[in-house]
Amino acid sequence: MELSCKDCRYFLPVDVFRGICKINKEKISPDDAFCEKVEKISKCKFCQYYTSESNSLGKCMGHTLCYPDLVAAKCADFKWEIQK
Amino acid sequence: MISSSGYPSIPLSVYQLKNRQEMSDHETNPAHYYGQAPGENIEDREAKPQPTSRAQAARELYFEAKSSASMEFPYWYTRRWEKLEGEIPVIRRAEALKSGFEHLTPVIYPGELITMGKACYLRGSYPMPWLSEAFFMAAGDQLYKEAQESGKLTADGFTTMGKGGGNVTKSIGNVISIAGKFGLRTEEMPAMIEIAKKWKDRSVDDIGHKYEQLVPGYKEKEALMRSVICMFDSGYTLPQGREVINYYYPLQFGIDGIIKNCEESLAETAGYPDMDRLYFFKAVIIMLEGIKSWIRNYADEARFLASLEQDKNQKTEYLEMAERLDWLSSNPPRSFHDALQLIWIFHVAVLNEDAISGLSPGRVGQVLYPFWQRDIKNGAINREKTLELLELMRIKFTELDCFASMGVVGGVLSGNTFNNLCLGGLQKDGASAANELEMLILQAGITCDTPQPTLSVLYDEKLPEEFLLKGVECTKIGTGYPAWVNNRVAMEFLLDNYGHEGLGHEEARAWSIGGCLETSPGSWMPLELDGEIHWIPGGSAPATSVGVHFLSLPKLLEVALFDGMDMRTGQRVFPSHGYILDSYEGIWQAFKDYFSRACHVLALTNNIQHDAWRKISPSLVNSMLKPDCLAKGKDIGQMGSRYNSTFNIESCGTANLVNSLASLKKNIYTDHLYSLEDYRKAILANFGYKTANESGSYSLVDQVATEDYHNWKKIHRLSLDAPKFGNDHPFVDAIMKEWEAWFCSMAHNYRSLYDQPMYACQISVSTHGPMGAVTLAGADGRLCGTTFSDGSVSAYPGTDRNGPYALFNSATCWNHATSQNSQLNMKIHPSVVKGREGARKFLELIRAYLRKGGFHVQFNIVDSRMLRQAQAEPEKYRSLLVRVAGFTQYWVELGKQIQDEVIARTEYEEI
Repeated sequence: MELSCKDCRYFLPVDVFRGICKINKEKISPDDAFCEKVEKISKCKFCQYYTSESNSLGKCMGHTLCYPDLVAAKCADFKWEIQK
Repeated sequence: MISSSGYPSIPLSVYQLKNRQEMSDHETNPAHYYGQAPGENIEDREAKPQPTSRAQAARELYFEAKSSASMEFPYWYTRRWEKLEGEIPVIRRAEALKSGFEHLTPVIYPGELITMGKACYLRGSYPMPWLSEAFFMAAGDQLYKEAQESGKLTADGFTTMGKGGGNVTKSIGNVISIAGKFGLRTEEMPAMIEIAKKWKDRSVDDIGHKYEQLVPGYKEKEALMRSVICMFDSGYTLPQGREVINYYYPLQFGIDGIIKNCEESLAETAGYPDMDRLYFFKAVIIMLEGIKSWIRNYADEARFLASLEQDKNQKTEYLEMAERLDWLSSNPPRSFHDALQLIWIFHVAVLNEDAISGLSPGRVGQVLYPFWQRDIKNGAINREKTLELLELMRIKFTELDCFASMGVVGGVLSGNTFNNLCLGGLQKDGASAANELEMLILQAGITCDTPQPTLSVLYDEKLPEEFLLKGVECTKIGTGYPAWVNNRVAMEFLLDNYGHEGLGHEEARAWSIGGCLETSPGSWMPLELDGEIHWIPGGSAPATSVGVHFLSLPKLLEVALFDGMDMRTGQRVFPSHGYILDSYEGIWQAFKDYFSRACHVLALTNNIQHDAWRKISPSLVNSMLKPDCLAKGKDIGQMGSRYNSTFNIESCGTANLVNSLASLKKNIYTDHLYSLEDYRKAILANFGYKTANESGSYSLVDQVATEDYHNWKKIHRLSLDAPKFGNDHPFVDAIMKEWEAWFCSMAHNYRSLYDQPMYACQISVSTHGPMGAVTLAGADGRLCGTTFSDGSVSAYPGTDRNGPYALFNSATCWNHATSQNSQLNMKIHPSVVKGREGARKFLELIRAYLRKGGFHVQFNIVDSRMLRQAQAEPEKYRSLLVRVAGFTQYWVELGKQIQDEVIARTEYEEI
């Protein structure tokens, strides 16, 4: 799985094209590559209950529609995937 | 030159369109002036003070940001909704809203002192498929095809979106453009389509459509939409808005106080008759729990940012923000800063429950005055800090976007959200309501000029001169605000239309403007602070501008002239009217018949759509705020509000209708120069010119003649030279007077969903662009596809040639209190109002109009040549503001249809 700034907890989205790094306050693109300070934000694609069905759609707990880039920081059921 | 009608005709030979080759050098600058022609150099607006560095930085970030859509809220809303199949509808709605709120990702931008927003972007918004799912589906999708066939999306095809500023006009890389404005990340697109499909046959749009087809004559409605005689349905596009919010309950009781009140009401209603009250109170509690979580999530984020922050001051501000948000998630505000943050939270919360334009904050300077006065007295705040907070408030309001189809967001709204903040007016006891905080709000409007919130002065003779001059100071630097609105005319309208619901003189004084220019009733609420009662005004009615929206008057006249046919599409709109049209009275009658038919079917179908809305997607946040919903235990869709006579019939293109009728009356039936058949042919031939789409110009300037031009030159010249509204000309003003008397009266014949009589509403917003785009040439000389005149008492651009007082006489030839509004736009060269003397002259001009009984006037103070330059080089004019029709917008975010119309408006070089 390729990760980018938009998957980082320190990414502050300004719009769909750019954001601000919460650490160094520089303007960055959501598609920029991860840097060494990265900390993953809770997203469905990082959750152990997520199963992928296509690149952009999946299922939560095997039955409910969800999508990999949905931020799940406030989801009560979120559990980090078990690292393989 | 005296015409046979006995009145001087207005020679518009300067205005007469020409083949470009025939134009002299002098004529190649086609702007229209009253007074001396301007000097050689483009005159800039008066220099103005700058905002604080914090507000400046926030505005710079705004300028960089693009409108961005997110699927977060609709995803969680839909997921919860699906899980609660079979639940009581209002509870299901509350749970869905709660889930949406509590899952929103908090975003706090550097330097913010007031925080929170609609979605996880600076200019964030999101689709609401529970209202309508079809318009944002990719072309080719079955849902989209169905919407097109029923005429719902016809207006989209005739709308030009602004090409600059924050609009995402085309898909680039990982971003998809929706409606020419909103960017959506490609990784969210499949989810958007899947979620939208879940609402097929369940959305307000689909359910409303299913039942509106039961209205006899429904097919006529579809024909009206396809011909763009009617612009849009409000029931599923913008079911709320054009109203004034009421912040009283959160300010007085805090969120926990409201919950406690609802819990007590639960006990009093459980098991008793009228059980809907029980469900309503329970739903409000559920929804508020979601809002509490949303606020606390922001508090957590502020603490997280503080933990990362190296700068001591910024760290302290984040921690103070976290503490403030934690406090406000339960309690009433302790300070002016708290109160400002809290009203912003509830403003956004309402906007997140429905697609809404025109949710006006109302008389905020009076609502917050008790908090501010106390803080000033205690030394807790000073005027400099207040000004900074008010500037930051302007930035937050400007960040608001409303996700809607291109026809709505571009064709109607021009990307604007119409948060109208009103100033002045009267207090409960009839004294002037202007105060020092309002002076600072005006000052913030000067130092930090942004489109939102737009400002309106509720003009009354009791307002102090110093306050009025401050308003003039703001208007004359070219912000387009404040607009000037007549307090007494509005009160008269409200007493006439809401009196039967119990509105009296005292309560009429609590009114405010909802949206760009909708007169909306208010109430006085007893805010208790330190044992003292302060009567603060706030809105007390639901959306005051839903109903028949908008009706194109010039297009209806065109269809009447062609016996019910839309000659652009070749489709029949109405059955033959059966009149021979051998007299002016025949044309007038045919027009009235068609107008009435349109109102009849559209009022009924719209009532059904709003009924679907109140059943499927009832308002909870806004209902909770509006008196007397909490007292009655009913939401606004169940007439929980104190006042409910809120539906209207909205028109567009008044001056073009009146000018066309005047031309037909004069040239056919009075002077006998041409026959109606001659006019029909001339209209179909577009008087020998290319259409606006072919020429690329949407006003009468810069038009291109065809080889046929000479065949139509004479009839076109006579059409242009026929008397034009706006010149104090009795021949044409009599037609205006007759139209207004009829329209304002006949509107009462139609009943709203709440079984109340409807009334006339006369603002064009931006519809005069796309509605003009589908209308053939007019008997007034207007060409095919060009934009109509704006508003309802504005002259057609370039045709008001007898000075401002002649325009005022024409505009006030009818009683403005018989309509919810009227709208007058003027463009004045900056040199005219320069300095202190210019300000006084300007105030006298405004006074003169309002004393004549005018309801509203607003101004562009700008050199027209600057607008042309900005059109050519938009990248150099990112911050240029102009006034359109009830709202101020960044020039670069306007579509060309509207830009051309603003350029073409008569520029006054003398007043």
